Order: sequence, then structure tokens, then C-alpha cells
Amino acid sequence: MSDAVLHTDGLTVQFGGLTAVNDVTLACGRGQLTGLIGPNGAGKTTFIDAVTGFLPNNASGRVVLEGQDVFGRVPHRLAHDGLSRTWQTLELFDDITVRSNLDVASQRLTVAGAVRDFFRPSSDHGRVDEVLELLDMHDIADRLPRELSQGQRKMVGVGRALVSSSTKILLLDEPAAGLDKAETQGFGEGLRRLVDEGYSMLLIDHDMGLVLTVCDYIHMLVFGELITSGTPDEIRNDPQVISAYLGHSGRAT
Amino acid sequence: MIAALRTRPLPERVSVVVLGALITAWFVAAILNHEVFFQPVLFGFGTGSIIAALALGLVVAYRASGVINFGHGAIATYVTYIYVSLTDTGHYPVPPIPNPFAPIEGIFHVEIIDFPTMIGLGGPMNTAAAMVIALLTAALLGLIAHFAIFRPLRYAPVLAKVVASVGIMLFLQAAVVLRFGARAKSADPIFPNEPVAFLGVRVGQDRFWLLGTVVVGTAVLWLLFRFTRFGIATRASAENERFSTLLGFNADFQAGISWVMASVLAGLVGILVAPITGVTPNLFTVLLISSLGAALLGRMSSFVVAAAAGLMLGVLDQELFRVEFEYDWIPNIGIRRALPFVVIALAMVIRGETLPSRGALTAERLPEAYAPVITRWRQCGYALFVTAALLVTIFAPFQYRAGMQNSMIGVLLALSFVVVTGYVGQISLMQMALAGVSAFAVGSFGTAAGLPMLVALPLAVLAGVVFGVVAALPSLRTRGASLAIITLASGLAIEEIFFQRSGWFGLDKTNKSSDPPSIFGVDFGPSNDFFLGDDKIPSGGFGLFVLVFTVASCAAVMRLRRSRLGEQMLAVRANERAAAAAGVNVAAVKLSAFGIAAFFAGLGGALTAYKLGIYGQDSFGIFVSLSVLAFAYLGGISTVGGAIVAGTLFAEGIGIVATNEWFIDVGPYTAYVAGFFLIGTAVYNNEGIDGFQRKQFHQLVNWWRSRRGLGPLDPAAVKERSA
Repeated sequence: MSDAVLHTDGLTVQFGGLTAVNDVTLACGRGQLTGLIGPNGAGKTTFIDAVTGFLPNNASGRVVLEGQDVFGRVPHRLAHDGLSRTWQTLELFDDITVRSNLDVASQRLTVAGAVRDFFRPSSDHGRVDEVLELLDMHDIADRLPRELSQGQRKMVGVGRALVSSSTKILLLDEPAAGLDKAETQGFGEGLRRLVDEGYSMLLIDHDMGLVLTVCDYIHMLVFGELITSGTPDEIRNDPQVISAYLGHSGRAT
Repeated sequence: MIAALRTRPLPERVSVVVLGALITAWFVAAILNHEVFFQPVLFGFGTGSIIAALALGLVVAYRASGVINFGHGAIATYVTYIYVSLTDTGHYPVPPIPNPFAPIEGIFHVEIIDFPTMIGLGGPMNTAAAMVIALLTAALLGLIAHFAIFRPLRYAPVLAKVVASVGIMLFLQAAVVLRFGARAKSADPIFPNEPVAFLGVRVGQDRFWLLGTVVVGTAVLWLLFRFTRFGIATRASAENERFSTLLGFNADFQAGISWVMASVLAGLVGILVAPITGVTPNLFTVLLISSLGAALLGRMSSFVVAAAAGLMLGVLDQELFRVEFEYDWIPNIGIRRALPFVVIALAMVIRGETLPSRGALTAERLPEAYAPVITRWRQCGYALFVTAALLVTIFAPFQYRAGMQNSMIGVLLALSFVVVTGYVGQISLMQMALAGVSAFAVGSFGTAAGLPMLVALPLAVLAGVVFGVVAALPSLRTRGASLAIITLASGLAIEEIFFQRSGWFGLDKTNKSSDPPSIFGVDFGPSNDFFLGDDKIPSGGFGLFVLVFTVASCAAVMRLRRSRLGEQMLAVRANERAAAAAGVNVAAVKLSAFGIAAFFAGLGGALTAYKLGIYGQDSFGIFVSLSVLAFAYLGGISTVGGAIVAGTLFAEGIGIVATNEWFIDVGPYTAYVAGFFLIGTAVYNNEGIDGFQRKQFHQLVNWWRSRRGLGPLDPAAVKERSA
């Protein structure tokens, strides 16, 4: 894919003798919602961890962001470069308000900036208000994450990933886990809206329903290997996908 | 082995190779010149055995409940003193308990009831009987430690566990001093101690007995945890408490048994060692730092590695002693004293952050870093508070003035913990060593080098900051209890290497002196005249000098909490990975926290130097660090208000002075009571006194509002607002 925001080239992750992600080469298109699916244990989260720099001792290969090889950079540097992610287990900053959660992620803090801000609090909150508006979170902005519902907490996680002005692509790690059917549908529509506004995203999920309805293009991982890629329609009819999700008897039918 | 090494990161590979080369070199030298090289080995086995045996107990307790027990050495001490007392006089000490009539007795100066301090058990006892009673006491201490302290703390953050075990240490050591005094005691030999010749070296045979006991003990523990049902179940619970509980094992029971084992082991070490080395109230706690290093090398889980490392540490200590003694060209920088630090740092590099974490069910949160909305009313409150402090500082009678000065310095020291531990969640036990660096530096820069105070004080504080940041570097790879251990060892290393010899950061002939602070020719020292207040020492002028710094520091930390850096600190405290993914440079935030914390510690240290005028290293030792942490946690580790409460309670602070004047002399009981309340705070109220009273106050406000027909205060309105 020529107009890819992010692509990986031969990304491999090994834990001792176990190869969790094996030579994965895939691309995420600009302004597209790309899906990464696979059964439990396929290596989806490991893939995101490797891309975002959390497995420096185990990963190898190339991660190219807007034409630049960013592999080997530390996580916070990658965040500044434009790789934003959410977490399956949310991992919000529980001790500070929703607004502060976004504030932390909204801009880069330099030593000079920190000193300046200490003496003269800056009123520049970057895109914080914009994102609060976008995700309809103004009325919970001054609450602590632990006071919120699970669905609201998920939105805070997404907001935190969206808020940085340098964000080029959003990597969403199973954002719909724990949501019921209606919530999932609403969440999917929300994602679609963001993509239509120009965001690029990689959505990881094992909920086939969600991924097939909202994504533009889908990759599938099984046991760490990329076994197939295609549009939702192609994936829906791919015998390998059916086999991976339903086992070998699935292929026989 | 080599293939396994090849997959490890570079620092690990280098350190393993260096370690291997050192051991080989030593081995070759020992073969070539065995008399000279062998003697330290035999002598070293004495200390090494104690270190190893304490390390075994640490591993047992960690495997049982994931607690690194800083109080382990104090348990050994307490039990040993009981044993010595029983064999000497047959007296069993009654633990100091609070006298409920004390306030009445204090006010009316009468004695209502006389609590016994000792129970006579009919004259000196024989070894066996005394040992049984002492070890039963140890078992009881183990049960109390488990059921009253660490069981309720099962799901608590590491900080609470560390603090509780520090509380045990303070409590038991204070109990020993209260009952037996601070003097060294010795006991009749248990092992035969006639010297024997071994490879041309004569050495007391009790060392071999001790060594044998440690070897047997290690083997027994290894077999117990490897092959018995109990041991396997304990290991399973350590892996995953939920599943082992579902399988029908009682993790709680196992942990209780393990605590009894650890505690009895500690007591046994003390009793067996007392005849050889004698015992002082903090002997085992000092050795415990080496034991922590040994246990850490065994990843807090391998008995064999921990015991072997403990023995090696003892040997290495003696070898270094001999080498420093023998070769003049080796700089006498106390490297031997810093050995535990070197070992612990090495263990951290080799093992990384791989302390096995226990699969607990849930984790509780750290105390809330409360930041109130600063309203007009609040500003008025602050102004009133500062004015009151100012009046007491200048116009109160001299003992209150002294109390205020101690308290304000205590606030500064506590603030350093608020920043590094409260805001960023990093447990640092070296803050007083950093205070010491600044204290000694202020004497050097100001008095020795003759720089004016306005230059010397900033330079001295800067020195503390530099030390703080450098000492924090190895800690970037670790967190939690491992960090507590490495900072404890760093503090010890700073103390041993820099404070004991003369120079910029050390002593001039056992004590250092500092001139009073002076601004444009006006002296503000405690014994200089001041135009307000009476003429007694300390003068209000010095109090005013301290007050300015303390008020500015409190305001600065409150501002820090609400600044961007403060938000990033709390983000790091909540979740390092998520903070990194959100673009926070975690290492930089941690280092800046260590630097800022060192700034406040250094300021506190420098002011202490001005206050004392002549001072030694006792004021800045690692045990002082531990007790300052204790007070900071007691007050409330994550708020400025907590630091102020901590300062009030601080040794010889205003709170203690007021209690002494109005009620009773609590002086000798301060450490004891602080230890007790520290444990209580860690277990039952981790918000500290400040958080506790804040919650009570909010409840009161809501009660009042509900009586007036108003709704309860919206929690979001009380919480911090960034806007």
C-alpha cells in the first residue's frame, strides 16, 4: 500500500524459544480504519506492544511511520512521533481528573516548559477541550476515573490517545472488550465517525462482528503469523478465517 | 550457559563476565598464597553466616507473603535480648504498654499505677529453657506480624508493606532500648569455642558450628519448600493465590506458618550469634542490609543462592579489609563499607527488575494526592496559619521556639518524601543521606572555604541535588520494594564513603562545624541576638530564617502538584507504561522528582547544620531516614498538609514539646510510639493523619449541610480542578 501511515516489515517477537509474532508485514492506510483480528493468543496485543516500543529486548524488524523507520525508539518518543495507543485494561491515571488525564497526553513537556509552567501556569491546554467536545465528555471532565462507568472509562482511554496534536495513527487494543452489544455498536459508530473526520486507526479485536462492520481493511493473525488480509467481504468468505475461528471442522463444512 | 547469556542484554553480560573474572582471580591468588588469603575466608564465615541466616528468613517471609521485612533484624534483636536477659537474671521483659492514666498523672504529678517492666521467672535460667521461651516469643511475634499486620496488608501497595515493616523495626528496636538500654550485651557460649588449626590458620571453632548450622538450615528449608506438600502449596500460592485457593489450599495458613518460621529463624540466629559477637540494639538491622543484598541475588526465592551469597559477602568483607590494610596504594575510601551497595546494585543490574511479583487478587491504591481548590477562604486560612507559626516562632518561650525550629526542618524533610514517594510513588530511603551531604557541604563551603551564606547555602543544596540525581540513576530500572532496598544501600554507601572522612562532604575530626547563616552582615544563628522576643537560645531570628524557607517550600510543593510536571508525576505513579505511551518521559520525570526531593532534603540538612552548629554523621544516618519516612507516612505521605503534620510530630518538634510541657515526658517513648502508630497507619488508614482528618472534616461538613436541608457536597467540586 503506497499511502500507508504505518507499516511493519518483518516484525518478529520472541520470548525465549516462543515466537509470539512471526515476520509480520502489514500496512495501515491513511484515513482508514484497519482491523487486526485473530483468536485469543494470536499475538495481537504483543504486536501492538512491539510497535509501540514496549518490547525492546524481544522484538526485531522494521516499523515505518510516515516513511521513517521508528523501530527501536522508546515508547514516549514514539508517542511524540505520532503513535498513540489504548490499552485493553485501560490503564488510566487514577489519581488525577479526566481533564488532567488528557492534559498529560496533550503535549510534550520540556525542562524549560516545566519550569515556565511552574512559575506561570499556562492556559494552553492544546486539544483537550476539542477532544472533550468530540467525545462528549465535558460533564465528566473534572471527575476522577474511578468515579466513572466502564464505558466512560473506555472513552477516556480513547480520548487520551486522541488528544496529542502529533497523533498520526491510533492503535486501539480491544476497546470493545467488556461492553455489551448495544454499547459495542455505539462505540463502533463513534470510531467510524472519527475515521470519517480523517483519523487513521488500527483496531484490534477478536469480536468479528465489530471489526467486519466498521473496518475498511482487515488483517488476520493466527499463532503470530499473518495468514490473510483483505476487505471485510473478502475476509468474511475466506476459508482460512473460518477455519481459524471455528477449528478444522469449520473448514469441512 | 553461554548460549543463555548471549540472549541477555549487554549490561548483564558484562557484569556476569566481570564477576566471573574477579572470582577466578581471587581463586588463583588464594591457591598461590593460601595462608594470607585463607584467613579472611575463615573469619568471614562468622559474619557471613549471620548474613546468610538472616537472608534465609527474609526469603521465607517473602515467599509466604511478598513482604520484604525490614523489621527482620529487629525481631532477631528483640528475641536475643530476651534470651540474654533470661540467662543473666531470669527476667522476662514486659513490652512497654501505654499507661492510660498518664495524662492524669502528668497533669497532677501523681503516680496512680506502677506498671512492671520485668517479670521475674526465678533466677538465671539454663540455656535450653531460655532458648525455648525466647523462641516461643519469636513465634508469637511471627503470628502477630502475620495476623495483625501483613494479612490485612495482603492487597496493599508495596509502599504500605515497606512502611509497616519499617514500623516493626522502629517499634522493636525502641522496645529493646526502653527495656534493656542501648548498651551491648553478651551471653555465655553455646557452641564450643576453643580455637582449631585449619590449613595453617587458627580460628575459633564456633564459626564452623555456625557455618554448619546455616548449611543444615538452608538444606532443610530447600527440602521443605521443594518436596513437602506445605512447601509446594506455598510456592503455588506465591504464583497464583486465586488458583491455589480454588484447589483447596489455605494460603493464609501457609503464610502464617511461614511468618512463624521466619521469625523463629531470626531469633535463633540472634541467640546463636550473641555469645560470639555480643548484641547491640541495631546490630542485626545493620547486617540486614547485607542480607537484603544476598536475598536479592537469590531473587528473594532461592534459599541456596541467598545463603551462598550471604557467606560470600562475609568473606568478601574480610578480604577487602585485609587488602585495604595490606596495600597502601588502595585508596582508603571505605569501599568495604559500601560492599552491600555494590552487591545490591550488581544484583539489580544482573537481575533487572525481575523480583518475582506475587499473583495477588487485587491491588489497593496509594494514598490520594489531594489538591484542594484554592478559594479566597482557604487563602485566608493559610495566612492565619502562617501568622500563628510566625508568632510562636518568635515570641513563644524558648522551648517552644526550639520545637518550632525542629518541626519546620522536619516539614522540609517530609516534603522531600511527599515529592518522591507521595507524588511519584518511588520509595527512597536515602533522603537523610542527601540531607547530610548538604549539611556537611554547608560547613565546608561556608565555614571552611569562607564563602558568604548566599553562595554557600545554594551550593550546598545543589550538592545534595547532584548526589540525589546520581544516586537515583541505578534506581531507574527498579521500583517498589527493590527500589527501597537499593536506595537504603545508596544511603549507606554515601554515609560510609563520604561522611566518615574529612573533606568537602565529610567530617573535620569526627565533627563538622558551621557558622551561623548571615545575610549582609546580620547573623541569623540560633545563638545570635534578635531584636524581637526574649534573649534565650534559640533566638527567634533563626526561627524566622527557617520559617521563610519552610513556607516557600510548602507553597512550591503545592504549586508543583498542580503544575504540568506534577500531573506527569501522578501519571507515572498511577501507571508507568501508560504514562510512557501517553508521551511522558518516565525516566526524566522520576529523575526530576528525585532531584526536587533532594533539594528539600538538602535544604533541611543545611538548616539542621546551621541549627546544630557542630554536628556529626549520627544526625544523617540511614536509620534517621527510616524514621523520617515513618513520620512522613504517619502525617500523610502525599500531601503538603501531611508533611506539616509530620513536622509537628517530628522528634523534639512542637507537638512533642507541647505534650512534654502539658502532659507527660514522652521523650524516650517517641520512637516506640511512632513505630506503633506507623504500623497502625500503614495497616488501617493509609491516608495518614492529614487524610484522616480531611475525611472527618468533609463528613462533618456534609452532616451540617444535611441538617440545613442542603445536599451533600459534590465530590467533584471538592476534588482538584485543573482549570
